[in-house]
Amino acid sequence: MGKRYILFWLLCATACLTFSAIAQERANSGGSSSTVTPALTQETPSPSAVTHASASSKATPDTSEARALRLEGEKRFRTNCGRCHQAPHKFPPRVMAAAIRHMRVRAMITDEDMRLILRYMTQ
Amino acid sequence: MDWRQRSAFAWCTYVRITRTNPFAGSRSWDRVALFRLGGGISWRACVRPLAIACLFAVLSASHLEAQTQSDEEVTPVPLLTGSSGFITTFNGGQPDFHPIVTPLVLVPIGQRWLFETRATFETDLAQVPGRNGYHGGPLQKEVEYAQVDFIANSYMTVTVGRFLTPFGIFNERLYPVWIRNLQTDPLILPIGIGPSNASTGAMIRGGFKAHPKFNINYAAYFSALSTVTPVNSDRFAGGRAGIFIPSARLEIGGSFQHGLQDARSNAFGFHALWQPPALPLDIRSEYARSLAGSGYWLEGAYRLTQVPFHQNEFRRTQVVARMQQYFVGANVNDALQPVNIRLFEFGLNYYFIDGLKASTNYGRRFSTAGNGNVWTMALTYRFLVPLGHSGGE
Repeated sequence: MGKRYILFWLLCATACLTFSAIAQERANSGGSSSTVTPALTQETPSPSAVTHASASSKATPDTSEARALRLEGEKRFRTNCGRCHQAPHKFPPRVMAAAIRHMRVRAMITDEDMRLILRYMTQ
Repeated sequence: MDWRQRSAFAWCTYVRITRTNPFAGSRSWDRVALFRLGGGISWRACVRPLAIACLFAVLSASHLEAQTQSDEEVTPVPLLTGSSGFITTFNGGQPDFHPIVTPLVLVPIGQRWLFETRATFETDLAQVPGRNGYHGGPLQKEVEYAQVDFIANSYMTVTVGRFLTPFGIFNERLYPVWIRNLQTDPLILPIGIGPSNASTGAMIRGGFKAHPKFNINYAAYFSALSTVTPVNSDRFAGGRAGIFIPSARLEIGGSFQHGLQDARSNAFGFHALWQPPALPLDIRSEYARSLAGSGYWLEGAYRLTQVPFHQNEFRRTQVVARMQQYFVGANVNDALQPVNIRLFEFGLNYYFIDGLKASTNYGRRFSTAGNGNVWTMALTYRFLVPLGHSGGE
């Protein structure tokens, strides 16, 4: 009997999570996070530019350098994260900061890649 | 003291340690030496490089502290994430329901620390002859890993605790049900990862840009013997290294492990991942060899984004195929199959939304113990809940 209850609650939890995910997806459907056009032919910014750009990511003017960094971040995101799993949606900044730290350890991505991906995912 | 002085100090400390054994003649050290298992490489020889590396890491940590603090202005929030799945397997016509939940807790501490732990709750439900309905075994609970990571610098992270053994790529990076393309495990998965897929000890790892054209990643670890179920582990030491070429989206690498107990045998393996930049194609492969057995798997997954009609449906669909072969070794291991096996599988994945996936696959198994079909259907979901203010709007 206990196992049936466990199965029942597992199914309920899965159903709830599924419905919440669908609701979240509908809520986010107006956003553009999942429909970013890849533009991977931009020049790679210098590491110093990456460092400075990360520090000033809160108020980023839409300059050509910022755009190049964003595109490079998208490129690194798809190259590194896509090695193992499907590219997820963007998450809130603090969530992404925790996730990228986890991925730095797990997937052994480089420091520069981490900064660029974090910048891209939190814009 | 700048970073050069710190490095020089660390090197002098290393020389002092290696030339004069501070524990020579010590009774306490003799007692510890009881753990040494015969000749060859001792556990001291394996621990020493790790200890030296940790020393370097700690001494060089403050060098990059200011830079890291300025880079990570966003304060990370603790997360509860993980995956859940309901997996149905038809093995020889017998259905087997397998619900599984694997929560993962991430707790970032300060700018450099991360505590992460993952647990698994799963059970098997099967039809019992003469009884109605499905009946399962006990709910299996397991802490897969619980580790503390210290990001020492751009090149090194020090990990202590119970961690997934970095042998090959599947165990560490492709194991979660929401990530794997086919729900069945590769036949060679148990090779080199120890009992319960994890190690108990210390590890250094990292990834860095070694050349403008490629990155290098590495991991070196030592695991102590633990006989406490379900957190048991073997005593071994090993490492893994890989080269990642971003422009070609190609990663190749190798793993090595030396056992420090029982037969003191070695295991080694190779892995490769390739995503051709022009195609939505993933190709992954692993080879592993040990005294217990050897084998390989080769998997290809193609996302149907280039189909010109019904694009909304086809871009969510992925076709997967995997070929694998396993050969029994001289020392039969309970975790590995007792017979030679060839297994070919192909399947379909459908991604409803981010993190929610339905998958089904069919496999044909050829072995000396008899041939058979394996059907698998699964619904998997990756969840993520911030345990605090997420910083969103």
